[in-house]
Amino acid sequence: MCRKGIVCLSRLTCLLLIVCLVAVSVSGCKKSATVEPIKIGFIGDLTGDTAIWGQAGSKAGQMTTDEINAAGGILGRQIQFIPMDGRGQAVDSVNAFNSLVDQGVLCVIGTNFSSCNKAIAPIACQKKIPLLGTTCTNDAVTVDQATGLVYPYSFRIGYTDEFQAQVLGKYAATELKAKTFASFLDMTQDFAQTETTWFNKAFVANGGKMVGTVSGRSGDNDFRTQLTKLAAMKPDVILLPWFYKDVALIANQAKELGMKIPFMGPDSWDSPELMGLAGPALEGSYYCSQPAFARPETKPFHDAYVAKWGTEPEAESLAVHDGLYWVKDACERAGKVDPVALRDALESTVNFQGLMGPITVDIKTHNPSKEASLFHITGSERVFVGDFKP
Amino acid sequence: MFLQQVVNGLSVGSVYALIASGYSLIYSLLGFSNWAHGDIAMVGAYIALIAQTSGHVPFWLAVVLAIAGAGCVSMLSDMVAYRRIRNNHSPKMFLMIAAMGLSITLQNLIMVTVGPRFRTYGDVIPVRSIRLGGISLGVLDLLTMGIIVVALVALGLLIGRTKFGLGVRAASSNMVTASVLGVDVNLYIRLVFLLAGVFAGMAGVLLGLKYNIYPTMGSIALKAFIACVVGGLGSVPGAILGGVTIGVMEALVGGFISSGLRDAFTFALLIAILLVRPSGLLGKNIVDKA
Repeated sequence: MCRKGIVCLSRLTCLLLIVCLVAVSVSGCKKSATVEPIKIGFIGDLTGDTAIWGQAGSKAGQMTTDEINAAGGILGRQIQFIPMDGRGQAVDSVNAFNSLVDQGVLCVIGTNFSSCNKAIAPIACQKKIPLLGTTCTNDAVTVDQATGLVYPYSFRIGYTDEFQAQVLGKYAATELKAKTFASFLDMTQDFAQTETTWFNKAFVANGGKMVGTVSGRSGDNDFRTQLTKLAAMKPDVILLPWFYKDVALIANQAKELGMKIPFMGPDSWDSPELMGLAGPALEGSYYCSQPAFARPETKPFHDAYVAKWGTEPEAESLAVHDGLYWVKDACERAGKVDPVALRDALESTVNFQGLMGPITVDIKTHNPSKEASLFHITGSERVFVGDFKP
Repeated sequence: MFLQQVVNGLSVGSVYALIASGYSLIYSLLGFSNWAHGDIAMVGAYIALIAQTSGHVPFWLAVVLAIAGAGCVSMLSDMVAYRRIRNNHSPKMFLMIAAMGLSITLQNLIMVTVGPRFRTYGDVIPVRSIRLGGISLGVLDLLTMGIIVVALVALGLLIGRTKFGLGVRAASSNMVTASVLGVDVNLYIRLVFLLAGVFAGMAGVLLGLKYNIYPTMGSIALKAFIACVVGGLGSVPGAILGGVTIGVMEALVGGFISSGLRDAFTFALLIAILLVRPSGLLGKNIVDKA
């Protein structure tokens, strides 16, 4: 009896202890919920071939988070910026997204790759967590191509491929007076095909003609085979929708082959590194970019970034900066911090003033209406030509 | 245009050949594919870059340092990653997996310490070309091809005509017999890793000069590996033949059929060779291709 009593007692004590613990932890949770920071996720390529953009975005996010927190946070709550590595790969980016959702984020900013965001968008809708793509430019990022309907939870900060290709195509035909063009496609990237199609439409509409296409694969390093073929087509301009490191290789090899045809490229050329890698070889070429550091209002951000990190920022840095302020703006308009309310507020955004220009969201496509900046490469410098719409 | 494409192909093929010969050396001795070989070339390229930008040494000295450094890293890689597995008499597959691990380790090491940016050696050899009857020959290409030919001939003489080469050939033909007959097999393995590393270092610097320098630049070794299989795994002349064949074939397919289908042709050739002549063009009869 006595023994049994002790056992009972110890069991009772255990039970009591557990109850106490649970009670404490639950009340602890409740209490801390009001002061816990708002978690905002970021996915970028932090370690792969294109880590230059992922890291530029991550650094800008940390800097902007500090700035917002110092000014009182969002609706009185501090924010916590959580960067995750997506390696520029769809599978890794989806894993990163799921892991961020498990950590209880309000929304996710990133990535800058259409291939990654196309994979994440349906999952974002399933989990009801808004996804704000930075400079990913493919239509399919925000619109389900099978149904033609917008992904309710997928947004973007930058413009689309269709848009920038039309700007380039029109400029080539009307301002550069080019009669013919050929395209050199990166077959590993969707945007290369989309941009060729839309460049062609705008170019033909303005009296030009396409003389042919060749294609290659990023990572091949040697492109002289295709360049030799391109040179034989004798186009007035060559559309080159590749990432800047390949652009550098292609331009240098074209120079080696004695080619003097100017190249035109989209925002995937946009990196301060490009001039160091292939400035002289790109003489006379044009590219268009998200409105970025040519805008005077970006100067304080640029200087603060350089002072803090010691490197030049990328357009991606501005996109992440704008993304965070856009989330802040939407939360304040919604009056609460909640993923579903945030989504509604993002969708109804009118004329939000970001450093990359104002954002007004088209409810049918979630594409912001904005302008594209055009740059001319001369004397190994990028010279700002102006902002254009197609 | 045909001749120009052949020239383009030879220029790429010679780089494949240089990397493939290092692959083949190690395969001939140890019978496994050293997947980290391309990354040793990458380390070589970075050693030259750091020596040039931070050490401010003249470029020729940076190249010498890169070649010596890559040789040492290659030899170290054997001591750290492969020797124990070999001494335990584990399956060859283990060596290959260790090599993959080493490859990822080297890439990430460079990414963390130097950073992921694309780099160049600057204007060491300016982009220039010589026009010759409608064909444009890059100065850098001619230089690269010249260096590669000299290096490969020297390698041939080293393996074929010296006592060291005799030892390597003995060890690769039968390691146990060679060691019974008094060849210090472990010493020879170390020296072959050193030699393969020297070739990788040279290839790394040439790749850096021709293209860019970045942490995953070693992935070109995949094509070199195909070149090895096509030419015959374990045969150095086969590796050279395979490299040049693949380079020229890629250029011609890219130029006259479709640049998009280029890799499909390369891999189709690989499959065809494996089906019709599994030991490769100049290979010995090999049973276990790990």
